[in-house]
Amino acid sequence: MSTTAGYLARRAGQKERVRLLYRRALKDTLNWAVHRHLFYQDASELRDKFEANRNVENLDVIDRLIEDAEAQQRNFQHPDPYIVPWAPGGTKFTRNPPPPEGIEIIYNYGKEDQ
Amino acid sequence: MAAAALRPAILRHIRLSPAMAAPLVGATAAGQPLALARWLARPMSSHDAHLTRDEVVDRVLDVIKCHPKVDPSKVTPEAHFEKDLGLDSLDTVEVVMAIEEEFKLEIPDLEADKINSLPLAIEYVANHPMAG
Repeated sequence: MSTTAGYLARRAGQKERVRLLYRRALKDTLNWAVHRHLFYQDASELRDKFEANRNVENLDVIDRLIEDAEAQQRNFQHPDPYIVPWAPGGTKFTRNPPPPEGIEIIYNYGKEDQ
Repeated sequence: MAAAALRPAILRHIRLSPAMAAPLVGATAAGQPLALARWLARPMSSHDAHLTRDEVVDRVLDVIKCHPKVDPSKVTPEAHFEKDLGLDSLDTVEVVMAIEEEFKLEIPDLEADKINSLPLAIEYVANHPMAG
């Protein structure tokens, strides 16, 4: 019984690792692609690489495959990835923040009577 | 508030034909007028006003329907990616990334991993202050 639970837990962990790996790799593919139409081709090749090992059952083999793929992904990371402008490291990070609540602009300050 | 004060000041210098002015006033219509009204409310700011929930739902559904493995007729705001739409876990990753791009978001990896259904995705985008 415990072995079944252990098997399932290990399997779930592996699935999560694969999802995260695929997400990171897909983002990296987008970073490397200069144009959108180049990305589509690269993305489908990336997906094929994952699909090739879809039916592997041996847990140890899966672990090794994931480690290899993670190492490969680390080696080929983009040095200057795209960052959404508002996110830390983005071009607009902390630029032009919204004014605090409750601030009112008075355009005729000092000339209210005229 | 500031926009309301600014409006007459701007309108004194700009002449709008009635046809153009109408959608700005009636900003309740979907799509372009809303975006324009949001932009006019705070020009050049990287911080837009919030999206309405309806707009979020519409755009999320559109993104999902455009995925090649999804049958558009099955897409509802309550659908689960894997159970209802028949996607696998890697497709889910792709879909979440597409939603991220649609709303110009950057979802942290571990949070994106937990989004596995349309209600969760809509909830996340609607509550995100930077969704645009």
